[in-house]
Amino acid sequence: MIVAHVRGHHTRPEEIDEHARASWLGGLDARAKIAGTVAFVVATALLTRTELVLASLMLSVSFAAVSRVPYRHLMRMYLGALPFILIASVSVFMFAGFWRGMDMWARTSSCVIALLVLASGTETFELFSGLRGLKVPRLVSTLLTLTYRYILILGDELGRMRTARRARGFRGGRSLLDSRGLRVISSTAGMVFVRAAGRAENGYEALRARGFRSDMRPMRTSRLKAADLAFMAWFACVSSLLVALQLGAVP
Amino acid sequence: MHIPDGLMDPMVAGLGWVEFAAVAAVAIYLSGKKVRDKDLPRIAVLCAGIFVAQMLNFPVGGGTTGHLIGGALLAIMVGPVVAIVGMTVILLIQALMFGDGGLTAFGLNAVNMAVIAPLMGWGVYSMLKPLLSRGEAPSGKAFTPGEAFAIGAGAWASVFVAACACAAELAVSHAISDGAYGIAATVSVPAMLGYHAVIGIGEAIITVGVAAYVLTVSPGMFEAGAARPRASPGLRGVLSSRVAQATVAIIIAFALALPLYFIYSSEGADGLEKTMEDAAVSEGEPLLTSPFSYGETYFAALFAGMLGFVAVALAGLGLMKALRAGKTAE
Amino acid sequence: MKALEVRALSFAYEDGTPALKGVDLEMEEGEKVAVIGPNGAGKSTLLHLVAGFRAPFQGSVKVMGKPLDERSADDVRRHIGLLFQDPDDQIFMPTVEEDVGFGPLNLGLDSVEERVSRALRSVSVEDLAKRKPHRLSHGMKKRVAIAGVLAMEPDLLLLDEPTAGLDPRSRSGLIGLLRDMRRTMLIATHDLEAAGEVADRVVLLNGSVAFDGPLSGLMRRDDLLDAAGLEPPQVSRLFRRLRGMGYGAQTVPVTLDQGVAEAVKLMEREKGRSGDRGR
Repeated sequence: MIVAHVRGHHTRPEEIDEHARASWLGGLDARAKIAGTVAFVVATALLTRTELVLASLMLSVSFAAVSRVPYRHLMRMYLGALPFILIASVSVFMFAGFWRGMDMWARTSSCVIALLVLASGTETFELFSGLRGLKVPRLVSTLLTLTYRYILILGDELGRMRTARRARGFRGGRSLLDSRGLRVISSTAGMVFVRAAGRAENGYEALRARGFRSDMRPMRTSRLKAADLAFMAWFACVSSLLVALQLGAVP
Repeated sequence: MHIPDGLMDPMVAGLGWVEFAAVAAVAIYLSGKKVRDKDLPRIAVLCAGIFVAQMLNFPVGGGTTGHLIGGALLAIMVGPVVAIVGMTVILLIQALMFGDGGLTAFGLNAVNMAVIAPLMGWGVYSMLKPLLSRGEAPSGKAFTPGEAFAIGAGAWASVFVAACACAAELAVSHAISDGAYGIAATVSVPAMLGYHAVIGIGEAIITVGVAAYVLTVSPGMFEAGAARPRASPGLRGVLSSRVAQATVAIIIAFALALPLYFIYSSEGADGLEKTMEDAAVSEGEPLLTSPFSYGETYFAALFAGMLGFVAVALAGLGLMKALRAGKTAE
Repeated sequence: MKALEVRALSFAYEDGTPALKGVDLEMEEGEKVAVIGPNGAGKSTLLHLVAGFRAPFQGSVKVMGKPLDERSADDVRRHIGLLFQDPDDQIFMPTVEEDVGFGPLNLGLDSVEERVSRALRSVSVEDLAKRKPHRLSHGMKKRVAIAGVLAMEPDLLLLDEPTAGLDPRSRSGLIGLLRDMRRTMLIATHDLEAAGEVADRVVLLNGSVAFDGPLSGLMRRDDLLDAAGLEPPQVSRLFRRLRGMGYGAQTVPVTLDQGVAEAVKLMEREKGRSGDRGR
């Protein structure tokens, strides 16, 4: 399976869905999870008062802790997002002082963590089918499913080609300046594309042969359970409270 | 260039969503008419490929690494409109699978990487190609050096202009929010533009390399490959309409920056003055102080300059085309 | 109503090469037919065409009485279960049971969970239900793919090289499975032994139909076997050689069971003869 470098850090796509199964979060309806997390993230993005921002960060971290998504996995992903956060925080710090810098860091981190928990705690197919509820157009949802499927296939092909290459002694490709290495990498990339394209045709037919038209349907019935409603209610309350405090509606 | 949530001023983020929704709606509508069911696997494979490619690092010296965006590559292979949809799908998967790029910031990320990048990439490529490449490709190569340059230039422009947009968004966020959001222009502009000017070179090299390989091995994947014009007089009509489309694409890419400017000018003047005071107080390189002497006209100059340059360049190219067409007609 | 009616079917690839010319084929419900022929003969193409994935074509195709054309393809496909040569093309959900359930869910069938367990049981992989498919062996993957198709309860099963790439144990297991299954099936294969064991009749395809009848009948047609470059099953080769040596059998057996029966008959005859001589 492909070992993907996410901003320089390693994650395997299968691993992602594994975490989803490990956490209780995986049992919730995807639409509820998306709705709740989105509410929280939107609310947090609106916060500028330091105490509120820190409150949001604490909520986010406790969400992560409660979700039981593996800590190390989350840290890895968070580190991947860090560069942008750091640049922003440091520059704000330079111009507007320590607390403003803290605000920036806390706010962005809180949002990123919440989003990471959502991403890690939900199986990818469920996320896609959750999107269907948002009336995503057929073209987009078909492309989403197919592209994700082919990412996995491409990963396989890439892994195989890399092994084949190494079996023939190729060790280059570390730097942009290694021109022969670069050509080999371009060829590998091109070859992976072309081979994957062949499998893509078959894969699409195989999907159509089993009745696939444009999107995925989840195995379990899509009825909201008490747990889903509780999840959404909690995030709705928390989000509205934070925003109200920010806007000064509540002293 | 994936911006997380909480970084941009909500108004800028909101604008990003509005612009993205508008462009995406049009792109989806047009793609729906053009794309047939049997094209979907091919397009999805290309998207998957770009997704995977985006995740690979290439070192650019000094210990930093860069990433491919792929907007230009996709646009050259499937056309700009489908590329917009494809890049959007890629960004969606990244945001939902990896939390890479925020939700509130998705609109802005999409505008930068899924709209501006492919439009600029395809636009510059389509404009330069007929000018630079004459005749057949030398045997054994996928395209003439001129065409390779056009592809590379398109790729570089896609990255650079997207970075400009991102820098502008950050700067405006900073200015209108009194420093609570965004990154000050004096940091964001040089940082983003400088870094991405270099990254763009890597993108150009890789884009040309992959395009060459795919075109050689399997031209069917290339929309451009299928429609590659020979240098023949009858096709001048086709070429010039391509140029017109390219012009439109580039103008749209830049036009997306206009609303930003309006937001800034209506809200931001105070913010910028405050930033000026802060800047004077904190120690910084001389670089920090000099642009501020233009005061609030700084941004105006920036935007006007961009638009003006583009307008002049386009007019000039259009003129050259017309002249050349006139000459060969004699 | 016939399960499959193909009349005067002709089809050419996009680049113009003809794949099928004037093919006629009929199948009753419950019949098992094997399409055999050399590589490139169009067997796969025929299967994919019947499944509605190749158009346009000349001639007519009717599945369960329903005519097939570009518009009705999706509808006709509800009656068909197409098994691909490479199970990796077909299996992609994270767990076996989710993958098997994919088809029924898409078709909007009822009691999906029941169907899934029934399908898993029918190919003896119930204990793999929660496993991850891409860790399974090739033989197991094929079974999961078959389960995925069976769960849709198709009227017509189309199998593309089902025994390809299987180790001998898995292969005989699969052959037994297909033989005992009571479903209408059209199997494209160049495994003649499997064809002999499973199918009621065979159709020799080489662009067009060169033979349509029981496999044992084909064993007498050396001309066709040579032209198609086909190797008869071992059992058949054994008995053809024996016939050459003077020990002729009534019909040329194509399966092991038939071979045993014929061998016993032969031996009884020989015993009788030597008995006579002995007197």
